Amino acid sequence: MKKITIFALITSLFLSTLAVANEVNVFNARHYKADAELYSKFTSMTGIKVNLINGKSGALEKRIIEEGADSSADLYITADAGRCGAMDAKGHLQGGLTSAAIKAAVPKSFRTSKWTGIAKRARIIYYSPERVTGAELSGMSYEGLADPKWKGRLVIRKSSNIYNKSLVASLIENNGKKATAEWAKGVVANMARDSKGNDRAQIMAVAAGEADIAVANTYYLALMLSGKKGAEQQAAAKKVKAFFPNQNGRGTHMNVSCAALVKGAPNKDNAVKLVEFLLTPQSQEHFTNNTFEFPMIDGVSPSPLVVNNLGLDFQQDMKTKLASYGKNQAAALEVMTAAGWK
Amino acid sequence: MFKNLNIWFLSSLLVSIFVLIPILTVFSSFFEDTSNYYQILKNTFLLEYITNSLILLFCVLIFTFLIGTGTAYLVSFFEFPLSNFFKWALILSFAVPPYIYAYSLTAFFENYGTAFTILKNLFGDANYNRNIPKFDGMLGAIMSITFSLYAYVYILSRASFLYQSQNLIDLGKNLGFSKFKSFYKVILPAARPAIIAGLSLVAMETLAEFGAVDFFSINTLTTGIYNSWITFDDLAFANRISSFLLLFIFSLFIIENLSRKKAKYHFNARGGFKQKEKIKLNGRQSFLAFTLCFLIFFFSFIFPLSQMLYWTLKFPENLFDLQIIDLLLNTIYLTLLSSLFLIVFSLISNYGNRVTKNKTLNILSTLSISGYAIPGVILAIAFITFIAWFDNSIIKSLGFTSIKKVFIGSILGLVIVYFIRFYSLAFNGIKSGYEKINISVDESAYLLGYSKRKTFMNIHVPFLRNSLLFIIILISLEIIRELPITLILRPFNFETFATTAYISASEDLLEAAAAPSLFLILIASLFIIITSKYILRENNE
Repeated sequence: MKKITIFALITSLFLSTLAVANEVNVFNARHYKADAELYSKFTSMTGIKVNLINGKSGALEKRIIEEGADSSADLYITADAGRCGAMDAKGHLQGGLTSAAIKAAVPKSFRTSKWTGIAKRARIIYYSPERVTGAELSGMSYEGLADPKWKGRLVIRKSSNIYNKSLVASLIENNGKKATAEWAKGVVANMARDSKGNDRAQIMAVAAGEADIAVANTYYLALMLSGKKGAEQQAAAKKVKAFFPNQNGRGTHMNVSCAALVKGAPNKDNAVKLVEFLLTPQSQEHFTNNTFEFPMIDGVSPSPLVVNNLGLDFQQDMKTKLASYGKNQAAALEVMTAAGWK
Repeated sequence: MFKNLNIWFLSSLLVSIFVLIPILTVFSSFFEDTSNYYQILKNTFLLEYITNSLILLFCVLIFTFLIGTGTAYLVSFFEFPLSNFFKWALILSFAVPPYIYAYSLTAFFENYGTAFTILKNLFGDANYNRNIPKFDGMLGAIMSITFSLYAYVYILSRASFLYQSQNLIDLGKNLGFSKFKSFYKVILPAARPAIIAGLSLVAMETLAEFGAVDFFSINTLTTGIYNSWITFDDLAFANRISSFLLLFIFSLFIIENLSRKKAKYHFNARGGFKQKEKIKLNGRQSFLAFTLCFLIFFFSFIFPLSQMLYWTLKFPENLFDLQIIDLLLNTIYLTLLSSLFLIVFSLISNYGNRVTKNKTLNILSTLSISGYAIPGVILAIAFITFIAWFDNSIIKSLGFTSIKKVFIGSILGLVIVYFIRFYSLAFNGIKSGYEKINISVDESAYLLGYSKRKTFMNIHVPFLRNSLLFIIILISLEIIRELPITLILRPFNFETFATTAYISASEDLLEAAAAPSLFLILIASLFIIITSKYILRENNE
């Protein structure tokens, strides 16, 4: 009996790697409960099993790269266009996200044939209405974050953070590397403290009076206002206001959660089906109501929490191609590090 | 005879090769060209990695030394309220890995965190945030690691104090030393080997620390390795930093092993000493001793436990989402499989060492326990590098199908890397078990006509049963807390309590990390309570 158990245990080691089924393998760096709910909905609708490996994006990308052509990954889903772009640049993605459904749903600047946005977010400025006047903010842009009038009043997270890398990459795309390097120095000089903590921590720093303005993504404020983070953070969120920069110019910096088709994907067709499913109005509504992102497609409204507190009628930057975030990522890290951005 | 020798030899050789693979992979890329695209950045970062690692190491060593020896001294020599309870309760801090401590610190002290809530409920609404100290960044990392690891110093110095002869203590008294003076003039120096062994373990773990340091985004050598692999795409540079780190760690490893030998010599001298009497403390001294132990116990264990419990109750939907049964089964599965391999191989090696007394075999076994010194991140990365290389340059060129999927992202790969990392636990555990079986027992068995196999199965294994149980629990304790290896190598749809907590925390869902963290702490505590007697080596109580 004992021997049989041990034998079974050992063989089961190998069996797990041999199973073949109607499935799609997702390397997933978005860990929202809402996403998992969508995946099981997809399975019950199509019979295609969604296999998940959850992790931080960097580690997942590495595994795809090291496994090379033998990788079991079909889709790589992550929360920043810069990451999908970087994977593309390294040659680990393949074309195929070109079905009519995808093309009809997603605006051109938000997709390539190898990856597509599935939900949008903006990286904006939060301010304390008590300490920041309307005149100070009037006409405010990302470029303006380097203005000496913000000295000691700004908080923003670390330079290693991908959202910051993509923001700075978009500035490099629009203003050039040299100007952006000068800008980064100005931003560092304005910081109220060394960069630390996540986006939510930046918003709370403004609420707590540690700083007057913060840079963070849109959905965090809605998340705090929703009460999902507790009553204290809900109250804190009410002490800050959102401001959409660059309204007089190219528009506010937009980013996406993206799904990328991995080179050598063993279940390519199923992967395309899953992406199409994520872009249906029902899925998009599920995203907006749970993760508080902006919908990728037309005809779906953002969560009321977002509409009421952040507003809807802002101009999005539709000009800067999201593919440039990946392309300029290295240069972005370089200018930030050179400026002493922690 | 020669044929038998071959089996032990081969098995030891196999284990050593497995352990050597990651080490050789790391060092072989030392001379490879690293991409120079990021050269300037890398020079900036390398200095930062080294400075941060040294600051972290230095502070953690000082604090674990003070806390570890201080509390061990109090509970070993004195009687005060709850001193018997603290004796084992102080080890419970092991159940809280540094990354969970880090989550608790942040949850409690952040703007609008638990501390804010408490103040608000006590004194009404006001902006307390500016007056609440922030334990994050380097300070947070130092606290998290210290409170989780001081128990190494505590356990080893306590074991050493326990066997210190009463004569030695009387010596201090006769010289007219105060309690404090005899502590640092007589007791501490006598326990030096044990303390150094404990501190070396702390140092190795600190340098290898990944979860807490990553959470506070401190760039140390270990996170630097991970980041240069990920951000710079530069495995060669990652491996080059690893080589520096490994050289450093191996010197600690050697120090630890040498000190352990000396410390053991110390234990063996048990026979001739006068049983020492504990001094009963009264009044202020008793209160101070109690307060100190209580504070350490509180901050190292009760604080993170309560914070995680509080959040689990405050955000109960995360508890309902947690697939407790699956996570538990995964943990048990990993533990049993790893234990099985670990125990089988370390039994064979130990038995081989016992019956052959072969020098080469001895060297091989020493080599094979060095896997414990290699940080999990490095092991996992080196393992993937090696498999990718082996697959591309050997398997495929011979025309076979790729073996990558068999090893990367599979339970098998995970178990192999656990094996490398935790082999020393099993090997040393069985070794100390064997040391208690006198060699004359074997000789008597042979005289009775027992074969070697029968001696092994019918005599050694039953004798070793307690050690084996202890080893399985130690391995479970390590695996349930293990983070980087599991994170990098685990298969599809496979999570443990540790990975669930880490992933939630890294996604800014700290409150969702509370429930898996709470379970992790509770299960680990259970294991610790079961083995506390064993760990403390208290045959007399």
